[in-house]
Formats: sequence, structure tokens, C-alpha cells
Amino acid sequence: MIKEVNTEEFHDLMPQTLTLADFYSPTCGPCKMLSFVLADVDKSCEGVQILKINFDTNPALLEEYGVSGYPTLILFQNGQEVSRKSGLQQKPALIKMIQEYQ
Amino acid sequence: MSTVQYSFEESLAARQAKAEQAMLAEFEAGRYTLEHPLIKINPYFISPLSAVILFETGKEVAVTVTVKGKEPEGTISHTFPPAKRHILPVLGLYPDYDNQVEVRLYRGEAVTVTVRTAPLEGNYPKLISMETTASYLKDQMIFLSPSMSELATAFDYKGDIRWHLNVPTVFDIARLRNGNILMSTDRLVRIPYYLSGLYELTLTGKVVREYSMPGGYHHDKIEMEDGNLLVLSEDLESDTVEDTMVLLDRNTGETLRTWDFKDFLTPGEGKSGSWSAEDWFHCNALWYDKNTNSVTLSGRHIDAMVNIDYDTGKLNWIIGDPETWPEDKQKYFFRPVGEEFDWQYEQHACLVTPDGDVMCFDNGHWRSKHPEHYWKNKDNFSRGVRYRINTGDMTIRQVWQYGKERGQHFFSKYICNVEYYGEDHYMVHSGGIQYEGENAMEGFAVMAADDPTIRSKSITVELCQGEKMMELQVEGNYYRAEKLRLYHDGDNLPLGPGQRLGQMGHTREFDTLIPMEPCGELLPERYEASVTEEEDRFVFKAVFEGGQLVMLMLERDGEEHGYYISTARTPFNALCCGTFIEKDARKVNLSVNKAGLSGTFDLRVIVDDKKYDTGIQITV
Repeated sequence: MIKEVNTEEFHDLMPQTLTLADFYSPTCGPCKMLSFVLADVDKSCEGVQILKINFDTNPALLEEYGVSGYPTLILFQNGQEVSRKSGLQQKPALIKMIQEYQ
Repeated sequence: MSTVQYSFEESLAARQAKAEQAMLAEFEAGRYTLEHPLIKINPYFISPLSAVILFETGKEVAVTVTVKGKEPEGTISHTFPPAKRHILPVLGLYPDYDNQVEVRLYRGEAVTVTVRTAPLEGNYPKLISMETTASYLKDQMIFLSPSMSELATAFDYKGDIRWHLNVPTVFDIARLRNGNILMSTDRLVRIPYYLSGLYELTLTGKVVREYSMPGGYHHDKIEMEDGNLLVLSEDLESDTVEDTMVLLDRNTGETLRTWDFKDFLTPGEGKSGSWSAEDWFHCNALWYDKNTNSVTLSGRHIDAMVNIDYDTGKLNWIIGDPETWPEDKQKYFFRPVGEEFDWQYEQHACLVTPDGDVMCFDNGHWRSKHPEHYWKNKDNFSRGVRYRINTGDMTIRQVWQYGKERGQHFFSKYICNVEYYGEDHYMVHSGGIQYEGENAMEGFAVMAADDPTIRSKSITVELCQGEKMMELQVEGNYYRAEKLRLYHDGDNLPLGPGQRLGQMGHTREFDTLIPMEPCGELLPERYEASVTEEEDRFVFKAVFEGGQLVMLMLERDGEEHGYYISTARTPFNALCCGTFIEKDARKVNLSVNKAGLSGTFDLRVIVDDKKYDTGIQITV
């Protein structure tokens, strides 16, 4: 499942399952490409929710998780950060990242 | 009909072969004598301060070619073996000058001809100062290799330019045992990391061999005893860069062996201040030591020089600050002894002296393993340093350094080298000095080229018995400096077509394709797109705005190959090869190798929500 969320929704949804958070900007080319990659990942991986957070409109989340650039991907397990990647990633790298915690 | 400019470019070696054939045909057709020789200035296109002089003599005779200096000490001579047909390279011409070139037969007559050279165009280093004596440097030149837009150039004792290449061959300049030099090709594969391979060149600029490499070439290489080449390369299928070394067959260009640095180190250990997940090692130098049959590798992004066994690839030792490295690696590190000692950080150009000491250029960038203790560049220093290691008790002693005393004014956060010429005889090249105002700059000057408060320079110092014998200062940054003679004792101009050896690898495609049908429109002209096809690849260039989604597609009969093009302005943590950085950040450049492709493909470009045709087909 891929869902666009705001700060409040993120706090509600993030602790529930394995969560991949995508901090993106709508003005960023690599972020646009990453959205296609994440759609591909979503089809291949069960048991992970993908939450997209607009970098420009959620400053509190950026501060809370120390996100300084986009795209930034953070994997949370039971509400705890377990892995992080910066920049555009290819599908195999993301699947490997997720599978390590499934 | 296409809105994309298309051209096919022959290889440099092929173009030179045609030019050489034409030159020889002209020579054969005429009756060129000592008194009326045929003279070709820059016959191989890329070395504008060289010429070839051709004439015949009635009997076999040795010939001495002399380029007269602007003052007597600047004269450069070379005597060629006896022959009747003389096809002689002329090296060391001054730019924009009526050079007087004397051609003298052995114990015989001589003529002097005037060789008028053109001014050098654009990208050459501007001299600030040269301090040395003609009696010390003699006919040796200080060669500088590019790191910014200024191209490879050699200066004489007076600071006059006597050799120059007008194409961007970059990284290390190495002289091979046959006298040729080995540099990168000018065929960029990816900014800032790597080129297609290597050119083996004469100093007339003739390509004797071009080595294309599956993983490309970056930074450094060394000629092994058997003539094969140990070369730093890439694994194009990997998510990491600059962490591979290959052994190339000198005669075939075939890759004989590959070393993956992840086999003996774990990415993420011992991070330097410039570390990134992709560029975790950033290997900028290699050195083979015959005495220990080992290879020393300089990893900028681990602040360490790493030595591995050549045969087994097993880790022998690591020179660097052991702080932050994990417990299982500590046994490979040395313990400093002696009063004066500093570790090296983000170093370059490792070498092993004949007695086993290890040297490098200690850039000193960040100068700590702990971010909270990183040094500001204005407070920092760079230096050449020589360490004596004892692999028995794992102790290390600093036995020499030069540069710390010059503080920030000798500080280079990147590039540079040190050379060992003999006991207590060194060159230290601080080629990456950058100022913002009066202090050392924190970022990269090439990324702020239009800022008038930013300037860059390079200082090259030669020291013998503790005495400074030469100091060259030029504007701009230069990857390495080397001291070489223009002529050598071998064949200075082997004739015949240059060989193209080896092959390019398969360009990594993007795993995820964007589901989109062609819109039926041509790529709009506003993107200023061009395609330059070569024998083994094509290069797509265009102008896109930051934030646009762009993917290049090769398509035929349901077969699709996608190559993502980033339009993000990337801040570089390492920029050894800034020569290719475009001032206009909107310009993109994608090289796609033909290896691994077969058939005729339509070239299309996805820009945001449209897939455009280009009207161009690529046949492999």
C-alpha cells in the first residue's frame, strides 16, 4: 500500500507495521522517478506500507527524523528507524532493504 | 526529420591514422630534403606544441633535432638513430612563436627552419611563478594533469609552456617503459567518476593504443613488470563506485583479473568526512610493490592506505587513524612511535619506496574521524608525508613531511600527489588549493566558477636534501604533477595506425521503466538535444530544467531499455575529475555503451508526462 500522508497521519500509521517512509518533493526529478520505483516495490513486497511525505509541507517531521534532503527513504520497524537511504534507489536495493526486516 | 542534432564521430585513433597516411603519402610524393623538409605542425590534432619533420638523405645518417630556446638554456635537442628516411617528432615548441628548429646531420650540415605555432586556445594553465634554475631542471618539464577546465600542460625551468594537449585526458600521467605516456581517454562515461579507458600516447599526441575497459577507468594505473596494466576501474552493475581494480593484458586489452575491494573491507567502516554510501572507498591511487608482492590502495573516503596481497587479495595492513574502525579490523592498524607524528586523512597518491617506506599526499581534509572534531579548511594543512612501518610489531614512524608549516596556503582538500626520486629527494604537488576571499574555501571552486571571490591555484615543490629546488605556482587546480623529459631513448614516433583494444561494458539500465506510450511528437527543440554516435557507444546531451523527470529509451518490437537521467543539481563530495563539469547545471550528459545491445532501436525521450520521438535510430 502506498499512501500520501501528513504529519499527523504519519504518526498514526507509522508504528503499526513495517513502514517505508519516502520524504519527497514534488519539484524533484529523482523523487518523481522514485515514485515509479516504489510502485514497483509495492507490487513485489507484502507486509510493508509505503508512506509518502511531502518534504515541503511537513517541517516538523523533517526535524523529528533529521531529514535534510530529498528523496530520503527511512524504514521503520515497530516505530523504530532501522534503515535509511538517501537519493534515488533502484528496486533491488529497496527490496533487499525491506526483506532484511521482514 | 529530427529535432535532435545527430553526428557520428570516428575514434581519435582512426582520425589520426588517416592523417598519418596522408602525411606519409605527401612525403612519398615529394622530394623532401634536409634543405626543403616537409613540416607538419600538430599532425595528430591534440598536441599543438609538437610537429613532425620529414626528409630523406642519400645515405643513412643520424639526425639531431634542436628546438632553440628563447634563451640558450631553453634549448631542447634529441638525436635520432641513423636512417635514410627521416620522420622525426619535434617536441618542446613554444606557443604563438616563430620557433627556430635546427636539423643537423651527424658530423654534417645543418639547416634551421622556422616553425610558427598558433596561440594556445582557452584552457591552459596560467603561470603565477616558477622558481628554479636551468642548471637544475635542464630539459626536464613539469607536467600537470587536469582537474578543472585547464588541460594537460608541461612547463620548462622558466615557466614557459612547452607541451600541451587540447583534449581532456585526465587523472595520472604515467610514463611507460617504452617511453610513451598513459593517460585517460577523453571519452567521458560519467561525471565525475570515470572515462572509457586509457590512451597510450606519444608526446606528439599520437594514440599508440587505446584501451577500452568494461568498467571504465578512473584516477590511477601502473605498468607491471611484464608490461600488463594494473588499473582502477568500476563495476557497472554495482551500487557502489571506485572500489574495483583490474589487470589488463597490455597486448589485447582483455581483463585478466578483477579485484572487488568489498572482498577485503566492509563499506561503512572507518568513514571519512566525505564518505557516501555509493562512494565508500574512493580509491584514488594504487601502487604495486614487488618486494612484498602486494598492492597498496589509497582510499580517500576511509582516510586510509590499504595493503593487500597481490596473489590472494587478502588484507595485510592499513595505514590510517584507527579511531572508529571496528574491533576486528584493529589488528591491521599500526601504532605510532616517535615524537612528531600526524595521521593522514583523505590522502592521495600512495607509493612505496624501494626500502619499504610508504608515502602519500596527506590532504588532511577534515583531519579527524569524529565529526565533532572536524577541522575547518582555513585552520588545516596538507603535506607530503613518509612513514616507516614495522609489520612485525605493527609500529609506524613519521620520517619526513613537507607542507604542514605552510598551513592553509598549501592546503588541498582533494587531488594532489607526492613523488619519490631518491633518498631525501621528493616532489610534493598541492594541486587543489582553493580560496574564498583570503581563506581556504570549504566547498568546491568548480561549482562556483563565476564567483569573483573564489580563486584556485596549484603549488608544486621539489625538494632535495631538505632544500627547495623548484616551486611552480599556476592558477587553477591540477590532479597530479610529474617531472618528465619530452624525448626518451625509445621510438619517439612509432608509425602505423593506433590499436583499439578491449571493450566497453554494458551500461547499467534502470530497473523500473515508466509505463508510457509515445505521444507522437518530436522532442521539442528547446531541449537542445544532441546524439553523438561512436563505434562502441552513443552520447546524449540536452538541457533540462531541475526537477524534470527524464528517461532515455531505446525501443524495438516490445524490447525496452531505459536510462534514467537526473536533473537534480548534485553536490559532489569528491570531484577529482571536475574537468567535465558544465557551468550550466541544466546540461545533462548520458553515455550509453552498445555492448549488450543488438538490433535497431528507436531512440525516445520521456520528459515528465510525455514520451517523445527523436527521429533517430541506433543500430548495434
